[in-house]
Amino acid sequence: MRSDMTPLVEVEDLHVHFGNARAVDGASLRVMPGEVLALVGESGSGKTTLVRAIQGLQKLTSGKIRLDGRPQAIFQDPAVQMVFQDPTGALNPRQTIYEIVAEGLRIRRDRGDEVEQVKLALSRAGLRPPERFLKLYPHEISGGQRQRVVIAGAMVMEPRLLLADEPVASLDASIRGEILALMRKLVEETGLSILVVTHDLGLAWNIADRIAVMYLGRIVETGVTEEILDDPRHPYTRALLSVVPETREMEQQILRGEIPDLSHMPPGCRFHPRCPLLQSGSLDAAVAARCSGEDPGPVPLAAVSAAACWPVLTG
Amino acid sequence: MNGPLLSVSDLKVTYHTAGGPVPAVRGVSFDLDKGDSLGLAGESGCGKSTLAGAILRLLPAGTDIEGRVTLDGKDVLSLNPGGLRAVRWTSGAIVFQGALHALNPVQSVGDQIAEPMLVHRTARSAKEARFRTEELLGRVGLPGWRADSFPHQLSGGQRQRVLIAMALACDPLLLIADEPTTALDLMVQAQVLALLEELKAERDLTLMFITHDLSVLTYACRRLAVMYAGRVVEYGPAWEVFESAAHPYTRGLAAAFPTIGDMSSRMRPSGLGGDPPSPDALPGGCPFHPRCPLAHDACLPVEPELRSAGEERSAACVLI
Repeated sequence: MRSDMTPLVEVEDLHVHFGNARAVDGASLRVMPGEVLALVGESGSGKTTLVRAIQGLQKLTSGKIRLDGRPQAIFQDPAVQMVFQDPTGALNPRQTIYEIVAEGLRIRRDRGDEVEQVKLALSRAGLRPPERFLKLYPHEISGGQRQRVVIAGAMVMEPRLLLADEPVASLDASIRGEILALMRKLVEETGLSILVVTHDLGLAWNIADRIAVMYLGRIVETGVTEEILDDPRHPYTRALLSVVPETREMEQQILRGEIPDLSHMPPGCRFHPRCPLLQSGSLDAAVAARCSGEDPGPVPLAAVSAAACWPVLTG
Repeated sequence: MNGPLLSVSDLKVTYHTAGGPVPAVRGVSFDLDKGDSLGLAGESGCGKSTLAGAILRLLPAGTDIEGRVTLDGKDVLSLNPGGLRAVRWTSGAIVFQGALHALNPVQSVGDQIAEPMLVHRTARSAKEARFRTEELLGRVGLPGWRADSFPHQLSGGQRQRVLIAMALACDPLLLIADEPTTALDLMVQAQVLALLEELKAERDLTLMFITHDLSVLTYACRRLAVMYAGRVVEYGPAWEVFESAAHPYTRGLAAAFPTIGDMSSRMRPSGLGGDPPSPDALPGGCPFHPRCPLAHDACLPVEPELRSAGEERSAACVLI
């Protein structure tokens, strides 16, 4: 990450609480221009709420979100576009592919030739020849093609940031690679940034420059993809990596139970009740006491590489 | 018992729709020994769930099923309704994908687990069924009091555990798991896979596991069958198939799940081009040829049969 650039997105000490449930609870992160950041974590870690907040769809309890150095507008900024997990639900079944993609151009009041622009967007999204798709309805094309239409519809808005929530989780394995390759290509061709939410570390290895690991509303580890996946430092990241079926040589650390209730945050380090490192008994007694008694806090905003874990911080 | 627990030979399944007949499974044969595990891989529409449904005859009425399925010595396709009921649950049980929709929302999960025990009289009284239900819940990692919970009070992972407990209610010999982990988180998926592995060892269960995620199958199963357009196109020991696939289709599927740390896949996602063919409009010759990076003239005239591709391995490709 180059520090001389203005971050495209900056989330600083963000809190989003729903009553007692603290869905996002002190999360900070940055996405640089032209960067793909993978936000990983289990269900219930607050990933989706964080993304909705960046999109401007979520009332913030406290904290700041800046786009391009400016405070985020209250209404949705066209520079931020979204790609969802289920492309079928994201497309209006009564609109043709042409109408779906042209809608964005009309919202943007683009004065160019609409038909040409739609065709260009479709072919950039890999739907070729575009003429073949213009008059079709979403149910007439495959799931992979539908996700390409969603991406084409987002790209005509000329976004600077694409928020992608599990963009390939509902797609067939064979199509997954193609959609990820398309996302990577758009980043390289247009300088777009992508914040991709996923629990799939293989996806991060395939397309992400950096990874931020989220647990119970906070970022607990961040760093360059190679570094995080070759040598994770936070025990939570290590456990997540160990259960990826392809990492066969690693000893599996299956965490027991599910993420705790968001309205009853554990004291000390939030991960300590499930932490394999603490449970192994190998920690120095003074460090172990801190794990269960003192909050290591979230990863700070400006951190390029950090893990919020007492044994790492004091090691 | 001599011979395999499950034997499927030349199974063909054709659905009849308003648009005409749709051949979903077009001649599949395999044997599965007691205690063994088979992973069935392939994309949506390749026929893998239809195949599972045909084994326990759970397909819609009016569907044509040809061929032979022998489960625990019984000829499943010619059983009368009474015989069929006995085979389902006790000889073979299925865990479906989508744990929310497979459960009745207005019945406690305990009652749903106990029901097959009472219907099949594997429990003599409601009291015994309740006792065994709590025991099963404990076995799948849920406290006994969860028997009184309703599906909406459970998380996705907990509901999947309930479905597994339910499938085990009558102590089946064969467990078919159809995408049991697809909608689940990575960690919950690992928990469910570890549970299936433990149960398999403990009860000498025979497992048939269906998913499009080749890496999960490779982890969970000893052998792998890859389906494409209603047929098996590659078959063999799971790790060998995953790491050195003989069929170009399997290679494409395997490449979709990168090995973390392998620099050749870093920033280079790969997959197959195109989409799977629709079962009612299959391309002639090898049905994979329009998407195959290695296709040439020899692929066009006839559909290749499975042929030997090494010890215990076979693949349906003219290049072998």
